[in-house]
Formats: sequence, C-alpha cells, structure tokens
Amino acid sequence: MRRDWHDIWGGAAMAAIGAAVAFYAMGQYEFGTLRRMGPGFFPTVLGALLAGLGLMIALPAWRRSGEARPFAAHEALAVLAAIALFGLGLQRLGLMPTTAVAVLVASLPAPRRGWRWRVMLAVAIAALTWLVFKEGLQMTMPVWPRLGT
Amino acid sequence: MTTLEGLLYGLTVALQPDILIYCVLGVVMGTFIGVLPGIGAMAAISLLLPITYYITPEAALIMLGGVYYGAQYGGAVASILLRLPGTPQSAVTSLDGYPMARQGRAGVALFASMVASFCGSIIGIVVLVLLAGFLSRAATSFGAADYAAMMVLGLVAASTIGAKRPSKAFAMVVLGLILGCVGTDVNSGVARLTFGRTELLDGINLVALAMGLFGVAELIGNITSAERKGSPPHVSLRQLLPTRDDLRRMPGPIARGGALGSFFGALPGTGSTISSFLSYAMERRISRRPERFGEGAVEGVAGPEAANNSAAISAFVPTLTLGIPGDPIMALMLGALVIHGVQPGPLMLEARPEMFWGLVVSFGIGNLLLLILNLPLIGIWVSMLRIPFRWLYPAIIVFVCLGVYSVRGSGFDIAAVAVIGALGYLLALAQFNPALLLLGFVLGPLIETNLRRAMLISRGDPVVFLERPISAVFVVATLALIGSSLWGAWRRFRSGPAA
Repeated sequence: MRRDWHDIWGGAAMAAIGAAVAFYAMGQYEFGTLRRMGPGFFPTVLGALLAGLGLMIALPAWRRSGEARPFAAHEALAVLAAIALFGLGLQRLGLMPTTAVAVLVASLPAPRRGWRWRVMLAVAIAALTWLVFKEGLQMTMPVWPRLGT
Repeated sequence: MTTLEGLLYGLTVALQPDILIYCVLGVVMGTFIGVLPGIGAMAAISLLLPITYYITPEAALIMLGGVYYGAQYGGAVASILLRLPGTPQSAVTSLDGYPMARQGRAGVALFASMVASFCGSIIGIVVLVLLAGFLSRAATSFGAADYAAMMVLGLVAASTIGAKRPSKAFAMVVLGLILGCVGTDVNSGVARLTFGRTELLDGINLVALAMGLFGVAELIGNITSAERKGSPPHVSLRQLLPTRDDLRRMPGPIARGGALGSFFGALPGTGSTISSFLSYAMERRISRRPERFGEGAVEGVAGPEAANNSAAISAFVPTLTLGIPGDPIMALMLGALVIHGVQPGPLMLEARPEMFWGLVVSFGIGNLLLLILNLPLIGIWVSMLRIPFRWLYPAIIVFVCLGVYSVRGSGFDIAAVAVIGALGYLLALAQFNPALLLLGFVLGPLIETNLRRAMLISRGDPVVFLERPISAVFVVATLALIGSSLWGAWRRFRSGPAA
C-alpha cells in the first residue's frame, strides 16, 4: 500500500512549524495573563494549536492509502528563481535588464525548444513593462543599470 | 437616507464620467485577466490593485469590484471552453460547461453563464441593499467580545462547512493567524516573529502574500498542463442563441442559485466557492434526470454561475457593514480600502454614503456592461485563449513582481513573493487550501485586538463571551460546528482504514 505521504509530510510540517512558533514565542515574548495578555499569548497558543492539528492530520494518514501527485520541480524552480532574481535585480540593474533576465529564466521549463522565441519574448515583455509601468503609471525605479556609482 | 434616496444618490455618483470609466476599465480588465487560464479573481485583483493607488477611493473600490466580477465571468469562459478553471468556483462551471462545449454547444453554455451571472448579481445587489442598513444599525451595539466571537465563528465555519478534511482546513486558518502575528504588536510595541528584519515590522505585505499564494502557485501548476489543453472551439454570435428547451431550463436554477449564493455570501467565512458547489449539488438532487449532470446539463452551468455571482456581491455585506471580510477576496478589498484611508464598519453607511451607494449602483451598471460588452466581445475572449501559455506566464510573473513592488517600493517584498510562492505550491500539492490561510491572516490581528480588549474589559473573565447574548450565540454555533466535525472525524477513524 502506498501511504498518504502528502498528508503525513504536510501534517508533520504543520506540527513542526506550530511547535517552533510556540516555543520561540514562549521564550522571546511575555505571555501575560488572561486579563492582560502579553505579546506572546497569541503566538504561543496558536503555535500549540497548529502543532496539535498537524498531528491530527499526520497520524491518521499513516493508516490510509493515498495517491501520488506529480511534483513540477523544474517549473517551480524556474518560476521562483525568476521572481527572486527580479527582486534582487530591480533596484541594482534597473527595469529592462532585470525583466529580460527574469523572463528568460521563467521560460526555461516551457514545453518548447529553441532560444529565438525566448529572447524575442524577453525583449517584448521588457518593452511592454516599460510602457505600462514607467510611462503609463509613472512608477519610480531605475530603468537601466547606473554606471559608475 | 431611505433605500430609494440612497439608490438615486448612488446613481449620481456612479454615473460620473470618471467613475464610469474606471467601472468599464475594471470590468474589461477583470474579464481579460480572468480569461487567462489558471488565473482567478484573486490574482486579477492583486494584479490590478497597484493601479488603484492613483485614483480616488470610490473609483478604486468600484474598479476593483468590476475586476472581481469581470474575472469571475472570464474564468467561466476558460473553464467552459478548455476545462482550465482559474478558481474552484469556476471548476464547478466546467463540470457541465465543458461537456457542452465538446458537444458543440459552447455558445449556449457561455450564454447561460452570462445570463445567470447577471441575474445572480442582481439578486446579490438586492440582498446587499436590504441587509446592509439593518446590519449596520445592529452592529453599533456590537462590543469587542461580539466581534471576536463572530470572527472566530467565521473562521471555524470556513474550515468546517464543505471542507473534505476539516483538520487540514483549520490548520491553514491557524497558520494564517500565526502569519498575521508577524510585525509590531499594537499593544506592547514588541516586534513579533520578525527575526530582526525591519521590512517585517509592518507585518507581511498582504499583496505579496496573496500574489504568492494564488498567482505564483497556480502558474507553476499550469505551465505544462495549460499547454497541452489544445485550442478552444470557434464560437460565433449565432451559436450563443439557446434553444427553447435551454431557456425553459434556466430560470429555476438561476433563482435557486442566486438565493443560495446571496445567503452564503453574506455569512462570514463561507463564500462563492461553497455556494457554487451547493447549487450544483442541489440542482442535481432535485432534477428529474440527475444522470444528465456531468454530460452537459445547462442547469449545471446556470445554477452555480448565478450562485457564485450573487455570493460575490452579498459578500460585501459583512465587509462594508462590519469591517469583517468574509473571504480572501473581500480581505484584499478591505486592504485596498484601508490603503485609501477608508475604514469600513458600521459607521461607513452614515459617514461615507457616496462610497456605499455608489458601489451598490456601480455593481448594477458593471454587470449590465458585462452583459452588453461580452456578447459582442466573446470572439475576442475566445481568441485570447489561443495565445500559447508559454508567452503569457513570463509576462504575468513580471507583472506580479512589479505589482508587489509598487505597493511600497521594496525589493524585499518581491523576494517574499518567491518564498510565499514556494510555500503556496507545496500547500497546493499537499491539498491544503491557501484561501483559508489568507482569511486567517487578515482576520488574525482583528481577532487578537478585540479578544484582548474584551478580556481587559471583563478583567480576565472568559465568561463574558457567554454573558453577552450576541457573542453567546456565536460561541454556541462555533462549538456546535467543532463538535460535529470532531464527531465525523472520530467515526471515520473508528471505521478503520478507508479504501
């Protein structure tokens, strides 16, 4: 039998997060009393609750069979990397290069080979964002890398 | 102000040319984004939220309202033609809409969803008008304990009613509440769970959270699948015409769905998703030939579409009158209002009548526009579905990033989207519902503030929640919901490992 691993791992993760939050909040912030609740009251109680719920999810799942669902690892990695690069690059490199790089990275897992369409897409989207966000909405941000400084 | 005066006043607000323009803009852009496969109302609103920073609060709310129901309508197009629903509620539409499209009746399915959406919205507007005045008067007698008890009921209701695994649903709510704790504690000024990052002192950015959980996580799952779905059928205006038999089958489901939706939409915690599921289940149960459902029954399109649109509008009842968002989309709306310096609550109807009545009337106008525009524009929406997804999603990613950046010019927030997006994808993979996380996140600080205030007033005596009649009702209802779901879990557990 294939166990319901999604629920086992999901529940275990919830239990771990909950326990971590509860202990951290208990150690760092004042708990207070029911009348005057301190900043630690809410996180501690919620963390304990989440830990309990996590166990309630994970333990019964051990006795249950579940189906596997595909994990889109390439897609996830490319999309998240594109966003992270965008966040890191926008203020340093400016809008145009950052957009182009993010688009190229994001398009890596797309189910079609070849580089030409990816480059064209990157240029087109960079131009579009410049038009909409810089010219249209007048957002303040660097467009090109600042040379020198 | 009487209802009639209010409506007339609202008409003068909503018909101002600049407001009307934003209403049209919202409806069209909402439909445009909603049509894109894999993107629902949630992502549409977060994508367009930044634009509203540049306009007046009334225009902003009216535009976002237009985006909301426009996106719902657009989502129906994608789920009927390609079975690529952007949201759970349009997933219901695809159950019978997609088989209809396969039988060459795509036009009729689209027509049914359009008309049902319109009628559902009108029902929702009537309920909004009837309930709002009454509720804001009642709400002035609400104390801190009542507010806290009501919000807890909302969260418990959202995670138990209609959830397949209440424990997983409730875990999402609690995780959301914990994330809502991040930032400066209002009462003591202590920075909680920020791990020394000054960017987190104001809490996690709502837009970053919404975009990460909905926009990004949904994109990842769709990159490969959306590409394989093939191209949509051609739909001409003539094909939109329903047969006499179709017309005869539609009014009943629409009326029932609309009523159901307006009821569940107005309750905090339940919303359009539950309404459309319930409407579908109800239509199948009362049908004389339930076997037609899933094979292209027009009732299965009309009922849920009416239900989710009327729920979408009546969801504004608790948001505007109590300041309590009933679902994540309302939470975003509330966030947008607060950014504009408008605090929704019992006093809003009196203090900002132009806001309330303008919005009510604009709902009507917006839905009328949707109906008028979309009949001729249907060809354009269908052809948009032919754009390969590989061209669209990189652009969406860039727009998401810039949308988040525009909130307060922070690169940190963009990086946060990546982290939250990873979390959102893992949650979706393990079938945890991220919408409940967002609901908990938004309600968390409100609950904590009211709970602490109530306990301070009562000198630490929790009996106060049972002494006040309003909160006692909420507490009893909450306990009943928890009890019944625990009982269900115990029975499942005792019956041994299920197949």
